[in-house]
Amino acid sequence: MPTTTHIDGFGPLSMTTPTTTAELAQVVRAAAAGSTALYPVGGGTKLALGTPPTRSGQAVSMHGLARIIDFPARDMTVTVEAGITIRELRDTLAREKLRLPIDVAHADRATLGGIIAANTSGPRRYGFGTLRDYVIGISALNDEGNEFKAGGRVVKNVAGYDICKLLTGSLGTLGIITQVTLKLRPLAEEQAIISLACDADKVEQILANLHGSRTRPICLDLLNRLAARRVFEQAHLPVPDAAWVLLVGYEGNADAVSWQVQQLVKEVGILAKLEARVDFTAQPLWDALVEFADRPGDELVLKSSMLPSAVATFCLNADRDGAALRAHAANGIVYGHWSADATLDCAAETLKRWRESSGTIITRCHSEWKRTLDVWGPPRNDAWLMREVKAKFDPKNIFNPGRFVAGI
Amino acid sequence: MTSAATTATAPKLADRMRAIVGPTNVLASPSDLVVYECDGFTIEKNKPDVVVFPTSTEQIVAIVKACGELGVPFVPRGAGTSLAGGCLPIGGGVMIALTRMKRILEVNYRDRYAIIEPGVVNLWLTNHIKPNGYHFAPDPSSQGACTIGGNVATNSGGPHTLKYGVTVNHVLGVELVLPDGRVVQTGGPHEDNPGYDLTGVIVGSEGTFGVATKAWVRITRNPEAYRTLLGVFESVDDATNTISEIIGAGIIPGALELLDSLILQAVEAAFRFGFPLDAGAVLIMEVDGLDAGLDQDAERIVEIAKRNNAREVRRANTEAERLLLWKSRKQAFGAVGRLAPSYCTQDGVVPRTKLPEILRFIRAVGTKYNIRIANVFHAGDGNIHPILLFDERDADQVKRVLGASHEILDECIRLGGSVTGEHGIGVEKIDFMPKLFSPEDLAMMVRLRSAFNPENRCSPQKMLPTAGACIEQSKAGRHAAM
Repeated sequence: MPTTTHIDGFGPLSMTTPTTTAELAQVVRAAAAGSTALYPVGGGTKLALGTPPTRSGQAVSMHGLARIIDFPARDMTVTVEAGITIRELRDTLAREKLRLPIDVAHADRATLGGIIAANTSGPRRYGFGTLRDYVIGISALNDEGNEFKAGGRVVKNVAGYDICKLLTGSLGTLGIITQVTLKLRPLAEEQAIISLACDADKVEQILANLHGSRTRPICLDLLNRLAARRVFEQAHLPVPDAAWVLLVGYEGNADAVSWQVQQLVKEVGILAKLEARVDFTAQPLWDALVEFADRPGDELVLKSSMLPSAVATFCLNADRDGAALRAHAANGIVYGHWSADATLDCAAETLKRWRESSGTIITRCHSEWKRTLDVWGPPRNDAWLMREVKAKFDPKNIFNPGRFVAGI
Repeated sequence: MTSAATTATAPKLADRMRAIVGPTNVLASPSDLVVYECDGFTIEKNKPDVVVFPTSTEQIVAIVKACGELGVPFVPRGAGTSLAGGCLPIGGGVMIALTRMKRILEVNYRDRYAIIEPGVVNLWLTNHIKPNGYHFAPDPSSQGACTIGGNVATNSGGPHTLKYGVTVNHVLGVELVLPDGRVVQTGGPHEDNPGYDLTGVIVGSEGTFGVATKAWVRITRNPEAYRTLLGVFESVDDATNTISEIIGAGIIPGALELLDSLILQAVEAAFRFGFPLDAGAVLIMEVDGLDAGLDQDAERIVEIAKRNNAREVRRANTEAERLLLWKSRKQAFGAVGRLAPSYCTQDGVVPRTKLPEILRFIRAVGTKYNIRIANVFHAGDGNIHPILLFDERDADQVKRVLGASHEILDECIRLGGSVTGEHGIGVEKIDFMPKLFSPEDLAMMVRLRSAFNPENRCSPQKMLPTAGACIEQSKAGRHAAM
């Protein structure tokens, strides 16, 4: 039965669900022959990212391509089809005490191909990096419907160009990812998350202290009052009564985690009200922190990129803008989330101000706002080279046309 | 298609270069050029027409533009420690030696990055930031000589990649002069710049995209403490099973290095560490991080090693002992000279659990070709470095070494691995590319290269096979560390 969908307000687009790579290849060849656009869709959790489509074409659901191809657990790698959900991947890996240490909201819907295309990350990126550090092999369909691959199935490999990196974060504009090999990490033996509740004047001092801390956090998330309320309520925990809450995460073996929790108390205990949650008691807060990235009520989400040392000042200024603010403080990434009360004028004004001191993109807003708001911001100095790469990979411009940076 | 300068045009080329970088920064006499005819891969040699030593990005722009006008190829070069012929000047032309661009431009501890010029030696950066408790994580065994620009080109590894990753995991951005003279900056100190991760494909492109003139690299805090263990095993199988079990137990050691009995003899003769000469294999197992968690990890490692029939597990009790152990490992290749007049090493990778299989295969190949083969390698990554011992004056031995090398690499592919874990394709392994990749895969790589280097004037005939560019290898021999 034919189904239809909208992508970022554009549509209706007919949606096909191929169940084999060969079927998908037929879809691509047909699109190439007619020069019609293709819009690959995973779980649909990131469809608000990017500029809306402008060319008619077809949506392609990747759910039919979701097999586990090879899982040699002792090699700590896995090869799967791109349509697998993060939940299924996570459960499969966990049976062998392994994981992909990338935080993904809506794991039951989000697909691996989708999070790679969108380069999804979360609070643990400080300790574990991002998807580019884990995708060691990739297969995709090119503009002619032919499957090509790069990388391989071993954790160390420098044969050929690392097209895995190029496709990671390319928002589906260079080809349709069909299969992925991941490098894995062991599940942590122990985890802890410590909340530090403090006033505005202590934020920078605590962040600076943590930078030189003897402990090695894997997460340093800074939340303003509004964001903290949402995260703690979601976790069914009492909300700390403070202007700012810093969540410091640790993972590792039991000795190392328990030492770090005690050490953190020594280092910053005097500056903030500390509450430590260890082992399973930490889980609800972790989960809420991850899910905060994509809350159903969010109407506008901005993402800013800056040096980590600029985060405290940026956040203190941005606190007036009425957003729930969450920063991956040690990575220099700040998100602002606005719910129903956001207006277009207010969004335009905030975006302009944020761009004065950071690289800011819109990761979610009403599709019609995108007619006036600049989603990706001014093109960087390498935009022309990106267009050149796009032109080589997709000369007919069939893959997600117009959705990415620099008109790609 | 570009071609080398002829006898008639070479002097003109040298003059153009002198005008750009000044006469003291150009080499053009045949005796000077000999030094630049190859890197650590010595099977193929070719002299460039001229070597230039630019000191700025602007000079490099002028150099590549001049090459374009004159229709000659160019190739960037760092310290020349690469092992696959990546900086072999095929077709002559201009070699752009980056060793005089060696400034550390900025170190930002709070934001954990450094900006360096390409000629900065890997170890210089680490030494520079060591007083503040930081290091540059990629640590190839040649780190005392190799440049970071070269590390960026080849995506270098080293013993600590298992836990800390390879060069690409530590490069945030690159300034690149493209073959047409345009300068582009990809990435930078901020994370998550919107757009394609061009930095990610420039790293490891082996100098075929342009000339990197600057890099933003991540600096890493030093581990607070180490526990360094030496496991002594009767057999290589016991040692490799230990590796799989350690990692299976959820411990990611900073390093896991395996030395077999043949290499142990050489290393022991050179460094007198006290390695047992009758052991089948030894494993250097190092966990690092917070002092608090290390004893727990070390105890479990000892347990696992003993369960896998380790004869004994020694601990490095002092920092001096630890450093001697690492010196023995990193200079193992230097010690090989005690075993044979020449040697040739390979850089295959197999899935970690296939290590016993590939090592048995290597033994069998050694017997088949009557070549002694020593093994010392990054076992945690499955990255093997078999060292084939021979005498290059004996043509028959040379032939057998090449035959054995190819069989080993073919077997790596068959076992699901790769023909290079860290040394690169260069010219040496170009014939293996069609075995690893389909024509479709290679075609996409050509498309990517053409976005950066459409005329293929920068490092021509590297990495990707082109029709008629097959290399007839008749000599083998290489003297470098990894």
